[in-house]
Amino acid sequence: MKRDEIAERVIRVTARELKTNPEQIKFDHHFAHDLGADSLKSIELVAAFEEEFDLDLNEEEALRVQTVGGAVDFFTELIPG
Amino acid sequence: MDGRPLQDVQQPNLLKDIFPHTIPPRIRFEDVIEETIDGRVAKFDPRRVIDRDIHVTDTTFRDGQQARPPYTKEQMTRIYAMFSRLGGERGVIRETEFFLYTKNDRATIDACRELGLRYPKITGWIRAEMGDLRLVKEMGLRETGMLTSCSDYHIFHKQKQTRKEAMAAYLRVVEAALESGVRPRCHLEDVTRADLKGFVIPFVQRLERLTEKQPEHMRVKIRLCDTMGFGVSFPNVAEPRSIPKLIWRMKEECGIPGERLEWHGHNDFHKVHVNGATAWIYGADALNTTLFGLGERTGNPPLEGAVMEYIALKGGLCGIDLSVITDLAKYFQKEVRASIPANYPFVGRDFNTTRAGIHAGGLRRNEEIYTIFDTRKLLNRPPRVAITDKSGTDGVALWVNEFLGLKGKERLSLTKVVKIQRWVMDQYEKEGRLTAISEEELEEQVRHYFPELYARAKSRA
Repeated sequence: MKRDEIAERVIRVTARELKTNPEQIKFDHHFAHDLGADSLKSIELVAAFEEEFDLDLNEEEALRVQTVGGAVDFFTELIPG
Repeated sequence: MDGRPLQDVQQPNLLKDIFPHTIPPRIRFEDVIEETIDGRVAKFDPRRVIDRDIHVTDTTFRDGQQARPPYTKEQMTRIYAMFSRLGGERGVIRETEFFLYTKNDRATIDACRELGLRYPKITGWIRAEMGDLRLVKEMGLRETGMLTSCSDYHIFHKQKQTRKEAMAAYLRVVEAALESGVRPRCHLEDVTRADLKGFVIPFVQRLERLTEKQPEHMRVKIRLCDTMGFGVSFPNVAEPRSIPKLIWRMKEECGIPGERLEWHGHNDFHKVHVNGATAWIYGADALNTTLFGLGERTGNPPLEGAVMEYIALKGGLCGIDLSVITDLAKYFQKEVRASIPANYPFVGRDFNTTRAGIHAGGLRRNEEIYTIFDTRKLLNRPPRVAITDKSGTDGVALWVNEFLGLKGKERLSLTKVVKIQRWVMDQYEKEGRLTAISEEELEEQVRHYFPELYARAKSRA
């Protein structure tokens, strides 16, 4: 999957789960500090990414990702191009 | 002050010699303990406890019954048999004492004897009266405790005697017991509020002289009864409240060795268990206890706590089967229909249950972080988590995985159970709930989100 498509899907899922306008989400946005993800929402977000990309993630690694751009990098590495 | 440099180790130092987790944590002593007595320093070596024949004695059916409705014969016989299994072949639970006054008491002794168990040995408990001694003889018991109150509160205000009259009355019954082939165990009632030099020591010296020519199995035993829980464990406490000094006086001034010394405490000041353990390490070999600490007023040293302390001091299980403690608790609650507080150590419903999410997270990663030892293996009680708004997704994951019996890679991750956690939080945040989530409610959530795993777990159960 191409990076652009991954980025579009990461932003769409993030906007849905964190109830934010997708157009306002930037790559350097921090899930907790900028987008209001508390610990439960962070886990829900990881669960939503698992569903979106049909993956079983290592939850500890996934929960260490802190920004939108970091998530795009994370999935770009995981999903073959 | 020299600074200590940080040791930034690559592997954790888990101090396994003290916290092996496979057994309760060990207690290690590094040196002698000093106590100033009569202006001189007396030394006690607690390290000797490993080699001494310390043991537990039981008064569940005597002092324990003074705190509750009488047990039936069947209940006492079952509990007696479980004590035997708990204490093992070495007789860590060495003796248990019975009242002799009612038909039920005497029939129970017969029923327990018929089981043919080596331990606990059955002894009696009587007032220091000739009529009571007759009951001991009739039951054919080889040892009996007898009430020999020794504070002036008891001698003057209860018995309306002088010290001389009290001592003479006690000695008469002790002599009669010896003549009948019954070993006397004198219970020095209220000893932590007694005049040690004016009554207790002269009395015990007389007792010792009385039996010094007897064979070993007939020599007087002394039970130090902290009747009102006044005993204190700290070093250099004034008499008569000092447990170290009391034991020292018994041994050094009265010639009673540790093998014939016993501690019996009460919990009026929340000191009951540590006082019992203190008596052990300062030199009394026997610690008198009751199941779950139930006894007159605030109770006695808990038997199950003493067994744990024994393992900690000895550094091994020594033939003890700790799972019997769980069996006793189940029996006690189901058959005896008595309640045990939820937070009561080792047996309460919540003794190894966490409600804090951060603890649940630790438990999920490694059970050793938040468990005192392997409670699953030793007590048949896996660590549990109670689900509230504070238990977090980690708590839900732990609960669900335990409920479903999943192990290793099968265990569900946080992301798999997060929908249940969202339901839990909605209960509190949207519904205004104030109570914990029940097991039935959680089970329903598991059935809803994991129908196949639920069916598998149910069929296994």
